[in-house]
Amino acid sequence: MTVGVVSFLRGQAWIWSFLATAAVWMATIIFTGGVGGGQILTAALSFAIFTVIVGIGQMFVITTGPGNVDLSIPATMALSGAVTTKLMDTQNELIALGVLVALGIGICVGVFNYLLIRLLRIPPIIATLSASFLVQSTAIAYGRGLRIKPPPALADFTTAQIAGVPVLALCGLAFTAIMGLVLARTMYGRSVLAVGQNMRAAWLAGINVERTRLMTYMLSAMLAGLSGLLLSGFSGGSSLNMGEEYLLASIAVVVIGGTSVAGGRANVPGIWGAALFLYLLVTMLNTFGASAGLRLILSGLIIITVITLAGGGERKR
Amino acid sequence: MQFKKTLISCAAMAMVLGTGVFAAGTIDIQSASADTSAKKIALSNNYAGNSWRQAMLKSWEKVTGQAVSDGIVAEASAFTTSENQVTEQAAQIQNLILQGYDAIVVNAASPDALNGAVKQACDAGIVVVSFDGIVTEPCAWRIAVDFKQMGAIQLDYLAGRIPDGGNLLEIRGLAGVFVDDEIHAGIEEGVAKHSQFKIVGSVHGDWAQEVAQKAVAGILPSLPEVKAVVTQGGDGYGAAQAFKAAGRPTPLIIMGNRQDELAWWKEQKDANGYETMSVSIAPGVSTLAFWVAQQILDGQEVPKDLVVPFLQINQADLETSLETTEKGGVANVEYSLDDAKAVIAGE
Repeated sequence: MTVGVVSFLRGQAWIWSFLATAAVWMATIIFTGGVGGGQILTAALSFAIFTVIVGIGQMFVITTGPGNVDLSIPATMALSGAVTTKLMDTQNELIALGVLVALGIGICVGVFNYLLIRLLRIPPIIATLSASFLVQSTAIAYGRGLRIKPPPALADFTTAQIAGVPVLALCGLAFTAIMGLVLARTMYGRSVLAVGQNMRAAWLAGINVERTRLMTYMLSAMLAGLSGLLLSGFSGGSSLNMGEEYLLASIAVVVIGGTSVAGGRANVPGIWGAALFLYLLVTMLNTFGASAGLRLILSGLIIITVITLAGGGERKR
Repeated sequence: MQFKKTLISCAAMAMVLGTGVFAAGTIDIQSASADTSAKKIALSNNYAGNSWRQAMLKSWEKVTGQAVSDGIVAEASAFTTSENQVTEQAAQIQNLILQGYDAIVVNAASPDALNGAVKQACDAGIVVVSFDGIVTEPCAWRIAVDFKQMGAIQLDYLAGRIPDGGNLLEIRGLAGVFVDDEIHAGIEEGVAKHSQFKIVGSVHGDWAQEVAQKAVAGILPSLPEVKAVVTQGGDGYGAAQAFKAAGRPTPLIIMGNRQDELAWWKEQKDANGYETMSVSIAPGVSTLAFWVAQQILDGQEVPKDLVVPFLQINQADLETSLETTEKGGVANVEYSLDDAKAVIAGE
């Protein structure tokens, strides 16, 4: 029985990111002599959720095949944060409208990305990068770095905790489960996987490849827009550079989480493991008092190790 | 603003002593418009994605726009690169050389990597004035901030407020950037001088509230009681949020002149008499660089290395500073030609 569980788990690429997370957490706790273990986890969950939300969008994009990536996530977050905080203007009644606008911004950016890729035949990496310049410039022109406080109800919701567990993380968990089902059970999810495995074969099998890609870029941008709204609620307002660190983080969690960069194979639970891992890794090195240079070197080495382990398990299968 | 008044009175004195001809207040245009009215000055800027840089550009626009319509210079355009990258800014400077500008004011992405492009500009007879992000190329002028002092005075202030000392949390800026190293060195010096303080944790906040909040929230559970937080600007509000989220008492957090930080400070002051101080560079330093470039074009003797004072806000100035600071902006001072002359004269 135990052997069965172990061999099942070894087959799952995501297990490595969770093992790494646990190891890093243990190391931190041992260093502090057992102080603050629970609070560190609470903090990790509070911040990881934003990486998870954009990471899921990025995962769908990357899964649609080689070359597909969304680099417009940070700019979309900044624009969404700037527009929605200004629109809601600290009034609780306008939160619903704010959410709609955040999603709407995502839809526009997603469609725009797709049109660049499809009509102008620009590779996704360039298309989404150039779209991000336009979106970021719009955010700058619109917001001018204005930090408006979020409506109190939104701030309360994004920072609320139940027994140390952030409410937002619980919602995120439910959302992740739904996205897992979407990927595995729905027509759309299976199309994403099929397109990622072989676009031509998917097309021959009667899958509407272009619609799948359009929907995927829209999904990614919508999640980025939503994340921008939530993040500005969480951190007391939006700022122009609030999305910056999510560019690489969104891609890193996808890869560390065990999703294939070549597309066609996604890993939903791995996103959580990887997001927690990345956060706790920085916390651990900060707690150790490592200098910035050493911290970057160690982060790099540890991430390479985890990816190698996860990838090694994959080849054996 | 106290500091500005001092500057102006210094300038007035310098002018009276130096020339004895002009009455203070009417000097601007008479002495400036003589030779530079046909000159073109460009601003080469490497980044625009935060509130400080936005305020910097806005100040530039406002002051140089006035200077152009007053006929002091012919043109003063601002150019910002889309990515914060050295290669791109080097190419931009080369373009500005070809476009025939007489002076280039530059906020550089790197202190040494742009030296080649800067040298080309100098060789083409162009005046190059760097500020904030300065360049080391000897032919360029540098308007630097005494960042080390900016770190050290935080500890001097804390020693006055908390004579018994205690644990400190340090929030640093962007790793590997000159400014971060300098402020950090100043803080270390301050801790050595006031040995009752001890830095128990240090994180990088990248001068951004969200990043600072994230980093502080991560390290906080492992820290003992923190008496005060020393910062580099743009990170104080994020730190306050992290302390609040962790359910810890708010320590004395040094602020960095951002409007959100000042607004938070005011809120706390009204609620419980919270006291701190705030220090940063005024984004309007770009306008000082503009006037310095104009003065060099005017044929004035200007030393290659100038030091610009930073802008400190104390408890008593809080309300006035908050009023004059635009929402989402940074407490600012725009420099006049007189201010620039005072800085050139070494105050």
